[in-house]
Amino acid sequence: MQQAALSVSSLAKSYNGRTVLDDVDFQVHRGELVAFLGANGSGKSTTLKCVAGLAEPDAGRIELDGQQLAGLSGRQLALARSTAAMVFQKIHLVPRRTALDNVCAGGLARVSGLASVSPMFFSRQLREEAMACLDRVGLADRALEKVGRLSGGQQQRVAIARALCQRAAVLLADEPVSALDPNAAEHVMALLAELAHEENLAVAAVLHQPELAIRHADRAIGLLHGSIAFNAPVAELNEKILHTLYSPERNAA
Amino acid sequence: MSVLTEPRAGKAAKSWNTASSAPAALRVPVDPNRGRKRMLWVSAAAVIVALHVLAFAGTDFDPALLVDGWQGMARFISDAFPPNLDWETVIKPGLDATLVTLWIGLLGTTLSIPSALVLAVLASRTTTPHPAAYQVSRSILSFFRAVPDIVFALIFVTAVGLGPFAGVLALICHNTGVMGKLWAESMEETDQGPQQALSTAGASKLQQIAHGSLPLVIPQFVGLLLYRFDVNVRSSLVLGLVGAGGIGLLINQAIKSFQFDTMLTHIIIVLVLIIIVDQASGFIRRKLAV
Repeated sequence: MQQAALSVSSLAKSYNGRTVLDDVDFQVHRGELVAFLGANGSGKSTTLKCVAGLAEPDAGRIELDGQQLAGLSGRQLALARSTAAMVFQKIHLVPRRTALDNVCAGGLARVSGLASVSPMFFSRQLREEAMACLDRVGLADRALEKVGRLSGGQQQRVAIARALCQRAAVLLADEPVSALDPNAAEHVMALLAELAHEENLAVAAVLHQPELAIRHADRAIGLLHGSIAFNAPVAELNEKILHTLYSPERNAA
Repeated sequence: MSVLTEPRAGKAAKSWNTASSAPAALRVPVDPNRGRKRMLWVSAAAVIVALHVLAFAGTDFDPALLVDGWQGMARFISDAFPPNLDWETVIKPGLDATLVTLWIGLLGTTLSIPSALVLAVLASRTTTPHPAAYQVSRSILSFFRAVPDIVFALIFVTAVGLGPFAGVLALICHNTGVMGKLWAESMEETDQGPQQALSTAGASKLQQIAHGSLPLVIPQFVGLLLYRFDVNVRSSLVLGLVGAGGIGLLINQAIKSFQFDTMLTHIIIVLVLIIIVDQASGFIRRKLAV
């Protein structure tokens, strides 16, 4: 089997003495979409945040595209981490800028000098690459529109284009469709699956709806109280497993 | 909290079950801190009253004096009427000087943009590269804000002599302090999401600020800039009084040579300028807010 694009082992994390992640091991390979399922507080978002560098794990090893993150620091760590791109529930684009400028910003790690200061100085090469990324998500015709004027689903697709412009091997999506209507959610999930299968990306998506995972993902990882309780192709997901994964939430509510 | 509210909910439910016609009622619990809170209010009020007594004494506040001296004021005002509307000696120099006042306000505002921007980025918790840079830039901003522009003007007059240039330099210093603080605060209030997203994309801190934070706050920045321009034009009037040129200087000269009718003309010109600047900046800020 080929080397995993994202490999996590013995990941542990606690906030104020409360264990959020406990000995989490998993791999995501190129060409597959892995859905992370679990109740609120089960640690699925924290897992992605640890990989993206938005949370600091207490212990564990993270390997991105064959490169070990431990031991790196500063600029080197930032560059190694940029192998993984992140898509957020709240999208996090700049609404006043055009879709194209927002997508170009995904490639900032490759630019230096004046282009660091204003989109006016982005190179033609970067713009054309960003256009191709927008085209990949089906929004080439909206390139010069301000992001704030696009619909939620279109905005999330621009955010995915920004991740593509980052030339990442791994795409991390933290509840990418929780803020979208069912139709737009379906569209975005289909796009993520397509990117995994056709562009050979390793996609890891935290999802709140198991049905979306069953329809679009190849494999599901279920977290329960910060540990992996399920890790198998989505075909093996059944009522009993879902009940186990989501029962803590029912008990609390 | 839940201990207090639960029995109340329980009782209310019971009275509805029995379908009694009287609405459910429960005695409001007595706040155990009521006495202390009342004491706090009374002592706060006493302190404020005491401060005002001291302030009245310290400023020789005496309304009777104002009533007795009304003739002096009436003489002064009647001397000022009618305003001296001579074009060559009063209105034309007045308009020229007003333009200088406007230029002082404009340059004092725009030339402080670079320094205010750098200090604002360093002094905003969300964009500062280091806690030490945050503390240092906050201190610099506080200093520039605390020293009044008129004091800066007096200092610069000793270096560059009397005239508008000293006024511009003074406004740059004071406005850097005020605008830098306002900008830093509006930056701390904005959404950090885009900046965070760019950090995961491997963008440097400078790139995160230029492409994630600053584009979000530009409308607020421009609004505050226009507000400061408005204030700075008015400040440059006062700077004229200490020799920094502009219409303030002419007003001062008119008073000193007892030409109150000339003074009145100048004041009317100033009034018109202030209204125009205020309306124009208000109009642009409203347009930006939409």
